[in-house]
Amino acid sequence: MSGDAFTWRAGGCHCGGVRFEVALGERTEAQTCNCSMCAKTGFVHIIVPESRFRITKGAERLAEYTFNTRVAKHLFCADCGVKAFYRPRSNPDGWSVNARCLDSLDGVDLNLTAFDGRNWEANAHELTHLSKEPA
Amino acid sequence: MTQPLTGHCHCGAVRVTLEPGVPVGELPYRACQCGFCRRHGAATTSHPASFLHIEAAPGSLNRYRFGRRMTDALLCAECGVYVASTIEVEDRRLATLNVTGVALGGFDGRTPEIAIYDDETDEARLARRKARWTPTVLVETQPSA
Repeated sequence: MSGDAFTWRAGGCHCGGVRFEVALGERTEAQTCNCSMCAKTGFVHIIVPESRFRITKGAERLAEYTFNTRVAKHLFCADCGVKAFYRPRSNPDGWSVNARCLDSLDGVDLNLTAFDGRNWEANAHELTHLSKEPA
Repeated sequence: MTQPLTGHCHCGAVRVTLEPGVPVGELPYRACQCGFCRRHGAATTSHPASFLHIEAAPGSLNRYRFGRRMTDALLCAECGVYVASTIEVEDRRLATLNVTGVALGGFDGRTPEIAIYDDETDEARLARRKARWTPTVLVETQPSA
């Protein structure tokens, strides 16, 4: 990743109660997912290391939902229900940001692929590298 | 008669049954482009000949209002999923159902039609909903299923 210039981009939920910033490079890997949870929220994943994400407003407005292994921490705005980011089970050391919740996609080159989350155990290894901090 | 379609939010606290009233393939399927629907990844259906039954566990519904504040967006307070939007008109409840949020059967393989309502007046919005939205009953009770 050396030489890749990151730009901090802002986003948030619908009501404005929860805001975040994420540092994205020139080309951004993003995933749709067909698991039971992502299918219902239409989540479009941008998975980043801890150092490339920050909550800038409203951490106290977040509600947490867990199920199954309870490793993933599904976070949503308690007012408008929007899930702008969460701690994914595939990358509990990082964050997954919802591309739908960025203020603007101008200048964001998303390389969108379909992750088969219905067969999570067989496929999760494909995502592990996305939350690794640069050496 | 067409079979009822069922679905629920992720945790199951809010459950829906839609009696289509028309062949399922004829139900509209729309992706509203407002900031709320886009962030929820919503794709909705409604039809005046359908009937929608929403069953919510006590305390599980969060009602969110925004913009013109004419409408309750029904969210599951437990898992956050956007289930439906409802209005009350002349003592009747009408709704549009988020097919995505409840993973309603019958829409696989269909691409929702893009819908943009930004420029509507309040009157036009209400008239559209009266013409298109689904008669609905909302019951807050412990779901049986």
